[in-house]
Amino acid sequence: MNEGVLQGFGLGLRPQHFPDAIRTAPERPVDWFEIISENFMHVGGMPMRNLMNVRELYPMAMHGVSLSIGSPDALDDDYLAKLKILVNRVEPAVVSDHLCWTGAHGKNLHDLLPLPLTEETLNHVADRVMRVQDRLGRRIALENTSTYVTFKDDAMTEWAFIAGLLKKADCLLLLDVNNVYVSAFNHGFDAHAYLDGIPASRICQIHLAGHENNGDHIVDTHDAPVVDGVWSLYAEAIKRYGSVPTMIERDGNIPPFADLVAELDTARRTAARAVADTAA
Amino acid sequence: MTIELPILQTKFQDRLLSGTEGIHQHLADGGPFMKVYEYAYVARQQEILAEQFPAVHTLLGDERFAQATAAYVLAHPPSVRSARWIGDHFAGWIAKNAAWSDQPMLADMAAFEWALGLAFDAPDDEILNMDALATVPPDVWPALTFQMHPAMHVVTLGYDVTTFQQAVAGDSKPDELPTALETPRSWAVWRNPETLIVRYRDLATSEAIALTAVRAGATFAALCEFLAEDDPENAHVMAAGFLREWLDAGWISGLGAEGMSWAPTAGD
Repeated sequence: MNEGVLQGFGLGLRPQHFPDAIRTAPERPVDWFEIISENFMHVGGMPMRNLMNVRELYPMAMHGVSLSIGSPDALDDDYLAKLKILVNRVEPAVVSDHLCWTGAHGKNLHDLLPLPLTEETLNHVADRVMRVQDRLGRRIALENTSTYVTFKDDAMTEWAFIAGLLKKADCLLLLDVNNVYVSAFNHGFDAHAYLDGIPASRICQIHLAGHENNGDHIVDTHDAPVVDGVWSLYAEAIKRYGSVPTMIERDGNIPPFADLVAELDTARRTAARAVADTAA
Repeated sequence: MTIELPILQTKFQDRLLSGTEGIHQHLADGGPFMKVYEYAYVARQQEILAEQFPAVHTLLGDERFAQATAAYVLAHPPSVRSARWIGDHFAGWIAKNAAWSDQPMLADMAAFEWALGLAFDAPDDEILNMDALATVPPDVWPALTFQMHPAMHVVTLGYDVTTFQQAVAGDSKPDELPTALETPRSWAVWRNPETLIVRYRDLATSEAIALTAVRAGATFAALCEFLAEDDPENAHVMAAGFLREWLDAGWISGLGAEGMSWAPTAGD
């Protein structure tokens, strides 16, 4: 087993799909899997056995939800130690978390909370990313989140903030195309300008997911298929960046494995068409 | 005027934890969709609690379970990094909360379901077998202590909740509500070392006493003394019998002997 690289199209690994992942490995309908890091930190028994059985067969990415890179609290040494133990065990191709904060003053609210887009925030997050990377001995990727509020203090666009952070902290970007779509709708910015503003060389992975459109705002729910507008934006992303390892995240109303494989085939076709259009 | 990041974050968090208004003056357009975060903070934890306590959910029904979990979330803002630990205080909170403490079967069910979860995904550790005891020199035996496997738990309940919980876990409708016991009884909850499937069984009073003592760090000599209070003639035989059973079940991960020069070697 080695870290390998992510190539092609993956799925978020959910417990109900462990047997499918193992059964279908020879046919390879899925090229790789991504796990939620916290679900396997300091855990044993069946979950760890299942994880390692799948890891033997597939490259893997680790995606965290509680690093809280933008928190005002000190970095959590215990959390980082457990994360590093899991990284050493899983040997993932990518280690990622979110560009957000999840709590302050010792609390962890289990949500991806928005950050004001200021120089102060950029410096704060960049400093912490560098310290996490030193601690883990590798670069990490941060994912752009869906947001539902912006701040009066915002001094730059989200894509300018991200471009600045990637450069300053020398980290990578996990681009969630659905989140770009959702935030563009919620805040009225141009999703294409967002894609134009991101440095292609830093994008190591793409997420796709479904959402809930409430008319005046959209919520990133991960409980439904990817919508047409997100597929179109994904095609635009591939035209700009070329082939990027892409996966579908599904966390609610989880359908049979075959349904997610079929949706992943849509991603394959969409990306292939976008690459062909670019070459033409 | 700009606001420092930590102050802004404190105001944001205070909104979610206690509903204060301070954050809104810093949000563009007053933050019309701040409600998404407010809703998600409670709803996400309620979803996790529903996964962790399906039989408590069945006992209460949807509406009352939603009330109970919303009140619990308000009382216990999480500090843990893994959502897996959100329900850590749920059984204790139910037992002490005035709205629910008059139905002790709820707290018992929550304690039992939590123990099942702990046994399911506790960290892996060594599992000793009878061969390990063969390496213990005779003079060490009185001082011998036992480290239990992290997946091994004991719950003491006033209701027999197991049949009801098993039905819910099997997606069938329970025939009867849990029944009150004449006296509280203890259950061992663990996972099979090979299959990793969670098991439980009720414990006779003497075994429950012995197990509680050993888990608290009692030596073999102290264990025999506990057992001798009820049956002086057979205390040693009973203690040895329990140890054999516990080793066979994969409950013991390590041996020690405080104050003795002996220490178990790797592989014992």
